[in-house]
Amino acid sequence: MNDAPLLSVRGLTKRFGGLVAVKNIGFDIRPGEILGLIGPNGSGKSTVMKLIMGIERPNAGSVKVDGVEMAGWAPHRIARAGVGIVFQHSRPLHRQTVLEHIKLALLPDSLVKLAAEPHVHQRAREIAERVGLAAVMHRHPATLPFADLRRMEMAKAIARDPKVVLVDEPFAGLTVEESAAFSELIRGFRAEGRAVLLVDHNVKSLSALADRVLAMYLGEYVAEGTAEEVMRNETVRRVYLGGKLELHQRDRAAANAKQPILEVADVRVLYDKACALDGVGLQVREGEFVSVVGLNGAGKTTLFNAVSGLVPYKGTIRFNGQDLRGMSGAAIARSGLVQCPETRELFGDMTVRENLDLGGYHVADSVRAQQLAWLFKLFPILESRQSQTARTLSGGEQQMLAIARALMTQPKLLILDEPTLGLAPVILEQLSKALDALQKSTPITVLLGEQNVRFALPHADRVYVLEHARIVWEGSAPRFEQEMGRAFLEAAPPRDSNGMPTGEAGVKVR
Amino acid sequence: MLLLQILVDGFAISSLYALGAIGFTLIFGVSGILNLAHGGVMLVAALMGWMLAGEAGLGTYFGTLLGVLAGLVTAYITYLMVVRPIQRSAAIPGEEKEIFVLTGTLLWGIMIQQGMAWLFTDNPVTMRPLIRGVANLGGVRVPYNEIMIAVVCWAVIGLLWLFVNRTRAGKALTAASMNPRGLTLLGFELSRIYLLAWSIYGVLAGMAGVLLASFLGVSTNNAGQLTASAFSIVVLGGLGSVSGSLMAAYVVGYLETITAYLVAPTLRPLPALLLLVLVVYIRPQGFLGRR
Amino acid sequence: MTVLMRSRAIWVAVLLAVVAAALPWWISGYLLGVLTVAFYFGVFAMSWDLLFGFAGEVNFGPTFLIGLGAYTAAIIDARWGLPIPVCVVAGGLVALVGGLLLAVPALRLRGPYFGLVTLVAVLLLQNAIVIFAGITGGEIGMMVPDVMSVDASHNYWIALAFLVVCAILLFGLSRSAIGLILQASGQDAIGAQALGFDVTRHKLVAFCISALFSGVAGAMLVFYQGTASVSTVVDLSVGVQIIIAAVLGGRRTILGAVLGSIFLIVAGEFLRPLGQLNTFVVAAVALAALLFFPDGLLGNLLRVKERS
Repeated sequence: MNDAPLLSVRGLTKRFGGLVAVKNIGFDIRPGEILGLIGPNGSGKSTVMKLIMGIERPNAGSVKVDGVEMAGWAPHRIARAGVGIVFQHSRPLHRQTVLEHIKLALLPDSLVKLAAEPHVHQRAREIAERVGLAAVMHRHPATLPFADLRRMEMAKAIARDPKVVLVDEPFAGLTVEESAAFSELIRGFRAEGRAVLLVDHNVKSLSALADRVLAMYLGEYVAEGTAEEVMRNETVRRVYLGGKLELHQRDRAAANAKQPILEVADVRVLYDKACALDGVGLQVREGEFVSVVGLNGAGKTTLFNAVSGLVPYKGTIRFNGQDLRGMSGAAIARSGLVQCPETRELFGDMTVRENLDLGGYHVADSVRAQQLAWLFKLFPILESRQSQTARTLSGGEQQMLAIARALMTQPKLLILDEPTLGLAPVILEQLSKALDALQKSTPITVLLGEQNVRFALPHADRVYVLEHARIVWEGSAPRFEQEMGRAFLEAAPPRDSNGMPTGEAGVKVR
Repeated sequence: MLLLQILVDGFAISSLYALGAIGFTLIFGVSGILNLAHGGVMLVAALMGWMLAGEAGLGTYFGTLLGVLAGLVTAYITYLMVVRPIQRSAAIPGEEKEIFVLTGTLLWGIMIQQGMAWLFTDNPVTMRPLIRGVANLGGVRVPYNEIMIAVVCWAVIGLLWLFVNRTRAGKALTAASMNPRGLTLLGFELSRIYLLAWSIYGVLAGMAGVLLASFLGVSTNNAGQLTASAFSIVVLGGLGSVSGSLMAAYVVGYLETITAYLVAPTLRPLPALLLLVLVVYIRPQGFLGRR
Repeated sequence: MTVLMRSRAIWVAVLLAVVAAALPWWISGYLLGVLTVAFYFGVFAMSWDLLFGFAGEVNFGPTFLIGLGAYTAAIIDARWGLPIPVCVVAGGLVALVGGLLLAVPALRLRGPYFGLVTLVAVLLLQNAIVIFAGITGGEIGMMVPDVMSVDASHNYWIALAFLVVCAILLFGLSRSAIGLILQASGQDAIGAQALGFDVTRHKLVAFCISALFSGVAGAMLVFYQGTASVSTVVDLSVGVQIIIAAVLGGRRTILGAVLGSIFLIVAGEFLRPLGQLNTFVVAAVALAALLFFPDGLLGNLLRVKERS
């Protein structure tokens, strides 16, 4: 096999305003090789993909395809030069059939050719058959399930006969069987001698497929090697998982006797046909601290958005005995179920104080002043930065502001979605201390969603593990450390014929 | 002499433009809508005010008040029966909603214009000024009405500023223009905030309409031009920026006044349009825009 | 499946065209006149649909292009007395240039900004016509010395033939490989680029085609009516009617625009006794259609076919 790399990236850098999304990334992919590019949200992996495809222009660096420098070219030129991409989501043309979509991909970029060449039709059929769409070739995209739509994207990429194939989150929204079929197609690319770049959140899903893996965090290179090597790499573990687990002693046994304040049963969520949550159930008792642990992309945010009434779902969610179905997102928040989302959703051009005041809008005046004083004690840095606009705060300060603002509403149940994302370890310590103080001084109930296990465990009474849209494990924090701890980042627990996890990994779904 | 006249007249008309434009930009900032029925709202306020004051004999004060009320009602109808149903329609794909809302408000504006023309004919009408008499400012004759209009406009703008920056409801409104999802997460019903925004808009546009009627007069033929002026100003100042609209209103107001006095009254709307074209080609986000 | 549908639709279209051609033997000259205008309107609407449905650009001022074509032809004829075909071609070319002028900001602006540019273009043209009233006849409009024919039936057939030719060209384009690429460019520009298509160039072409057909149709309308005036070819409300016609007929169908135009013009005629309220009613109907039937007539029919 030819040893010269088909795709060669060096020193790739991209800035968006003041934010460096990608810093000095470089790698090679040889023909017939599959490289997995992994990283959590905000790591820059999607930006790298866009830079290679030309959708974004790099500030610096080189992208060579088969020796030809393409950095800064227009996307359609890059596409014509042999780079293909399989999008995770695309907007298909509703009045065209699947076959016509594939034919489109086969068309030359000409202004005068009114009709497609005769062989195009034949070739399109062949491709449809190859990806398994022969039966639905003549149907319209609106009538097809998500997996078939992804196959169609695959088919369009194949039609371009690319030298380099970029695949965005190959298995997101697919069932286990569909993922297996998709893997086969990707292996087909490898067999044909193409260079394949898979971009995804975590190593687990790519481990079976990728020859090598490159891990990114906050735009920078973290580690490279085989899947196993990367999963065992200390830096990777520290950055993704928070490193070695340490357990604090928790003496909140009394919480176990209380009634469940939040009951989630058999919840399913579809994003445009992609299955984001597949029959998820959990419970949170009054005063408890429950951590939902799962790698990026597992479905934690979707779960929290369903609970907060921000996305449609099937199933039942009850808060304080009341069924939340039909309530608006704002009504749910007013009833005491408040979420501090991953994206924080701060009012960027308003000051810290104004953000906090808006949080306390619906609370009585006297209580508000008290609440504010208490929060300033909990997060002293916010008091000193009261008059600064939120946009100018550091990442950690913004996160604290977001949590404090949510706490201003005096919630009965606080949902925290990945508060540690993108924060330095020293900030995590401060956050951890604040959460500790919160737990000790108030009867608040907390539902935390985190990838960083080290952060999620010390405060938790109970832990759920969410993986690929399902709850795969449930238990106490000490048991998690025993049973799941090391295996968390490694290969998925063995599954039975129904795709359900079995073995010592313990408790099953629901 | 002429210079002073231009300065004074320009100031008054700019203040009036500012009032309407601020309302227009407020709606865009908070709910992302470009209300192409803006001229229609002002028209209804002006004509109803004129009719109730004069024909119905209710007197100038009541007529003015009711005119503003009519503007408010028209604004509500625009939101509740045109904009909101389109936004909530499941039959329209998300990417096209903006276009449909634009077309919808355009159609609604035409309906208002034609309906009003049928009721009142397209003859220009002028409302009797609230204050009669003419002052003498440094040798220039300025109707008291004109001075009053400038004062009222600035008073309202001042009140609005106070509301937005000093009251909690006002801050919620500002927050809605920054991050509606953030507000929902804190328990604010966005639908109520939008209603508040449209209420403020209705009052602003209504006042602008009624005052315009007593200053320059209105006719149903003006409706399109009024909308065009408003969005010219708003685009020049930067969509969503209230201070930008304020600045741009004065630029446009003075340009128009200068053209009317020094070139020809019929060419009045031209400089603003040309400026708009320039801005759109060179700096689409306007002077101070952030979207 | 689609092939079957298409051939059935084509048969229906052919049938309608034949029926239309035969009408002059049955209906009055007055009605023929109404339909003649409706046919030209149909070309306006089809051109709009090509730009919107296939390049994804909303033109709020189609009358900018139409007006350019109409007035150019009228002025050339009035001043230099050139034969009609030359004037029409000249109108089309000037409109083409106008289309290019519009295309430049379009390709750089997003969202509401482009719509604003198109609106401003119309207002500018309107003001320019009023300012240069000496040449253009200003608000009142101008007379053109030549007309295509004085016979109602002849004018009708000319308009019908023009409509059919344009429909074949535009519909054929929309169904061709280029039409497919245009659709992809309009709906998912990034996806289209990833497939190797130069979206910018294709959109420019879409603008040019839309402009050319609009300008030529505008010029022909002038030589039918014998006059060119702001209220018939430039006014914003005319542009809005065009948009309504295309939306009522069904976005992205091309042929639907013809149906929408005929319905709109004929309905407008029937409502003429209402006077001023005529426009009001039409706008109200259009608004209702936007709210309740956004897919339009042909759009709904096609959706039914897709699901089965």
